[in-house]
Amino acid sequence: MTTTFTPKDPVWCSGCGHYGVRGALVNALSELDIPAHETFLLAGIGCSGSIQNNVNAYGYHSMHGRVLPTAIGAAIANPDLTVIAAGGDGDGYAIGMGHFAHAIHRNASVLYILMNNAAYGLTKGQDSPTSELAQVAGHSPALDGMSMGLSIPGATFLARGFTRWSDQLNGLLIQGLEHVRAKKGFAFLEVLSPCVTYNDTYPDWDAQMYNVDEDPDFSCTDRGIAFQTIERLRSEGRIASGLIHQGEQSAFEANWIKEGLCPANLEAHEPQKNLDTLHDIMTSYST
Amino acid sequence: MNIMTNNIKLPKQTRLCEDINVMVAGQGGDGSLTIIALLSHALRQRGLELYQTSNIASRIKGGHAAAILRASKTQHGGIGDNLDVLVAFDEEAIINAGPSMSPDGIVIYDISRGPLPEGCLGPDVLVLPVPFSRFAVRDLRRDLFKNGFGFGLVARVLGIEDSEAEDCMRKRFKKLSKAALEANLHALNLGFGIADEFGIKHGDNLIELADAEKSERLSISGNQATALGFLAAGGRFFAGYPITPATEIMDTLSRHASKIGCVVIQAEDELSAVNQAIGASLTGARAMTASSSPGIALMQESISHCGSAEIPLVIVNCQRAGPSTGMPTKTEQSDIGMMTQGGSGDFPCVVLYPGDANECFTIAALATNISQIAQCPVYIALDRSLAQNTATVAPFDLESVKLDKGKLLDEATLKTLDTYKRYAITDDGISPWALPGTPEGMNLVTGNERNEWGQVSTEPENRIAMMDKRARKINAIRDLLPGGVEHGDPRAEIGLLGTGMETGVMGEAWARLEEQGVKTRCHRPRTLSPVLDDTLDFINQCSRIYIIEHSESGQLERLLKGAGCPAEKLRGIRKYDGLPFSPGELTDLILTREAQG
Repeated sequence: MTTTFTPKDPVWCSGCGHYGVRGALVNALSELDIPAHETFLLAGIGCSGSIQNNVNAYGYHSMHGRVLPTAIGAAIANPDLTVIAAGGDGDGYAIGMGHFAHAIHRNASVLYILMNNAAYGLTKGQDSPTSELAQVAGHSPALDGMSMGLSIPGATFLARGFTRWSDQLNGLLIQGLEHVRAKKGFAFLEVLSPCVTYNDTYPDWDAQMYNVDEDPDFSCTDRGIAFQTIERLRSEGRIASGLIHQGEQSAFEANWIKEGLCPANLEAHEPQKNLDTLHDIMTSYST
Repeated sequence: MNIMTNNIKLPKQTRLCEDINVMVAGQGGDGSLTIIALLSHALRQRGLELYQTSNIASRIKGGHAAAILRASKTQHGGIGDNLDVLVAFDEEAIINAGPSMSPDGIVIYDISRGPLPEGCLGPDVLVLPVPFSRFAVRDLRRDLFKNGFGFGLVARVLGIEDSEAEDCMRKRFKKLSKAALEANLHALNLGFGIADEFGIKHGDNLIELADAEKSERLSISGNQATALGFLAAGGRFFAGYPITPATEIMDTLSRHASKIGCVVIQAEDELSAVNQAIGASLTGARAMTASSSPGIALMQESISHCGSAEIPLVIVNCQRAGPSTGMPTKTEQSDIGMMTQGGSGDFPCVVLYPGDANECFTIAALATNISQIAQCPVYIALDRSLAQNTATVAPFDLESVKLDKGKLLDEATLKTLDTYKRYAITDDGISPWALPGTPEGMNLVTGNERNEWGQVSTEPENRIAMMDKRARKINAIRDLLPGGVEHGDPRAEIGLLGTGMETGVMGEAWARLEEQGVKTRCHRPRTLSPVLDDTLDFINQCSRIYIIEHSESGQLERLLKGAGCPAEKLRGIRKYDGLPFSPGELTDLILTREAQG
């Protein structure tokens, strides 16, 4: 065995929700027997952006807000990898919002775990786009990633978990990983993951969470019902948790996979092996 | 046909031409490009070298469009001083191009929209007024067919055989319906008829073009050639966002993608484009993005990140006139500062600058390899002229392109190692690299300062070791970087130095200065970062050097000063009106400065 880096213990505050996310992710990867070297975990910037240091996998630390395009590029360039992007609510819903919307729209097979603590922790407690989830009054309405995801026709997997509900969270992570490994497209999992230091939402969220998985009237394949349920719960001061939506839509990279295209497979792209094709391309400019 | 031919005096003698500049101009949609394309085909049959540009002499206003074709015995890499023939479909064409007309030039003017504007053309310019548009609508019911008329008349003027002209049209319009082709051929014949009325019978041409031996050529733009160089070197992942004048790189790759198997993605913005390319690169795929000045400005954080995290990436910057949105369709070289000094922090970064389409190909292939070897960002600097203008060039040397993986580790090698550290400190600064998917090579890649394992570290000693390691990489690849191209008398005291779009015009100015007894020597750097020793040597050997560039503040000159060139030797010849230098203009500017002492 070659000695490589050893995943470090997390640097999060005691009681941080992110421990739960990391634990669930490690469980899910092991449950599905995904080899560590085939797992590529990319993280954004913020407290959540250190999770790649704490999991046995190839890890990458992106720029603030850019984890999604990077993860999508990696997933397309080497479809044999299980690509997981992770970040916080500032990373995904503020600076990275444009990419977030397009990631759902594009539907490349990446699992995106957004650890929502409704605060900027690393810069000491500023509000985030989801802060109202925790603070009842005085803010513009919080951004809801599930509603947003539902509004994008290409969405194939939208789910919300809560670190305190570890069974559901484990299940959602496994479902999300299965979705991307089956090349069904983009799986979005928002995890409510409280920040005990700057915005301790445990008491609020404990009271507010509502498990749609156990609601017989809920349907994760009907966007209308999903949207109505989220809106109704919101008006009651509650938050939907569970598998919110599952849809069918061909993955962004489906055609490339069908063609057997793997940009990362350099052997196949040796110039000498492609001379005839290159020559044909060049001579299309002959005059 | 009923055209006014009374007052037109044709020259008695046919003019011999080894080097001809033809402009076709009118409103967008008039088909200026169609006539130029037909002419290109015909002149290419004569073995002439072609250089084609569009919009150079036109203002961005009212959709006015112009295309210029230069045909000559040798490739000059730019357009000439004056227009020999102008086909003008509107008044604006005469007003804009009038000053550029050769004193004995020929203007074919469509008088359908009004009389020839006065005072724009010299007394000896021959004007052939024809109501093309009215004729086209009258005889063929569509305005578009005026191009056929126009081409017929131009062909006669230039001595292109009627049958040759017809052949060009058949080839050019082979995808049109039979009826549309027939209508165009009819228009062409009506054009011949107009020539007859002017007294320009078949074989009575006004200009006699030189013949040259026809060599094998590609007709290709810098953007297209860059795309091909990337593909040749195993580039299989491209992400970009549309922007003038870089979009043709994405278009070219899209066009060929399915043949060779290349992922081409139009991202939601430049930030996404560059980061998708980074993501692909992290898996070992050879990845490139391309944009133009403001788009490259958006990518600066990501490019710095590649420098820090040691991620290979090729970035093409088709520079346009800035700052900000600037003049999107106009040319400039004013991002040299951003490319060589941009981004946050200090990091290794290579900037290469080709001078013609052939070099775009070789440099794109080289950049792709160098980015892998040095695990750092490599810019290919282009400018609008180089990026979009089309020239005939020798076919590319495909066989010479090799795929160099640098210090990429495979599973077998990894297994022989006791330990594997992604950011191992090495003598040459380059750390062996293991890709996701490879057993035994797991690692962390980050733009944070980190230790050899890839774990974040702000420890001062480690910081210095890591910064120094990254800086060493440039020396490790120095021998691979393309040196300057020189010509002229090595004993000449006066140096001319320019790069990219200045390549052709600098050569022509050199020849003209030589004719006037002014000895100069030329140096064209192809690597701007780092500045190479041969460039410094050149400057040391000259007593004064004219730095020819398209930048108001003289960014290339600043770069050279920063590299240690003595300021008192450097004389800036700068242009920033969006247009390239013409050979005569550049020659005069140098002579004027020489006269000032």
